[in-house]
Amino acid sequence: MSSSDAAAHGHGGHGDEHASNPHLAHHFDSMATQDHASRLGMWLFLGTEVLLFAGLFLGYSVYRHFYHDTFRFASHTLNLTMGTINTIVLISSSFTVAMAHHMVKKGNNKAAAGLLVFTIICALAFLCIKAFEYQHKFAEGALPGKWFTFEEMKGMPGANMFFTIYFLTTGLHAFHVIVGMTILVWVLKKVVKGQVDADYNIPVELGGLYWHLVDLVWIFLFPLLYLI
Amino acid sequence: MAEKNKQDGGESAHHHGAGRYFLIWAALLVFTLTTVITGRMDLGSANLPLAMIIATVKATLVVLFFMHLWDSEGINRLVFCVALVFVLVLLAGVFGDLLTRMPDALPTGRHAHTLEGGDLPTVPAMNPHAD
Repeated sequence: MSSSDAAAHGHGGHGDEHASNPHLAHHFDSMATQDHASRLGMWLFLGTEVLLFAGLFLGYSVYRHFYHDTFRFASHTLNLTMGTINTIVLISSSFTVAMAHHMVKKGNNKAAAGLLVFTIICALAFLCIKAFEYQHKFAEGALPGKWFTFEEMKGMPGANMFFTIYFLTTGLHAFHVIVGMTILVWVLKKVVKGQVDADYNIPVELGGLYWHLVDLVWIFLFPLLYLI
Repeated sequence: MAEKNKQDGGESAHHHGAGRYFLIWAALLVFTLTTVITGRMDLGSANLPLAMIIATVKATLVVLFFMHLWDSEGINRLVFCVALVFVLVLLAGVFGDLLTRMPDALPTGRHAHTLEGGDLPTVPAMNPHAD
């Protein structure tokens, strides 16, 4: 449904903006209303994402409550250096995606494209580091449920629950990193092709919002799993 | 209402200096290093609350400034805060149950807790910090 059709049919009072702006959909009065609706839709979705992860955080809280000493011990068996590097990688990529949106709003798509490429490289780096960590856990047998054969924590109550929660939370988060990365590639394509600019940049903004959520979840996962 | 929203939408389309983003980024890195250092120190029961406070501050910075909830339309703030309220309802309901159960109704092998202990690692996930 192209908005130029809408304009061609002549929709009275608000025909002007529809005629001049190909991004404005038929059913919206103005660009401001459309952006507002897009942003609200994204925040509603992010709200459900928060609740999705809240279930896992709740599971963590309950089992940490039961087995707090085991959890404290288990958190020290994770690789803090890799966890810290991944935190810095995600925070920096959150920064560069915010800057990319800023640059598009300034009309500098070239700089924005560079920043988005950097963000996507950060996402890949995060996944690579995570893969190394997983590989190490597999080798040690620090695995969920019946696959748990980790010698260092043998016989500790709740030990396999820590790693069940570890793999569920970081796994779901890694899946979000992959989705976020895919969205950013799509946004990058739009930026390079000039389909977004200083006036129309809502795809960059919303793609960025999703990426910030990925960062947000990690900000809580990192201390809970690696630090305490 | 619609008019007001339109105006809000217009405002949030304004630029923020790149300086603000740099500042938030630097703050996030400093907080990350702080939490790593204090996380490896033995502060007893203060470790968990401290780590959660730092994480909450970091999350607040990301939500308010990277995600622009600071100057976004009010309805977006409302949506996010409602999600956080439901997270708290979830945690309160479940821990209200767990903390008031008879010992026999809890899994065996769990670590000893004093029920009145203030250092219980409760509600680590989220706080309604954004309102």
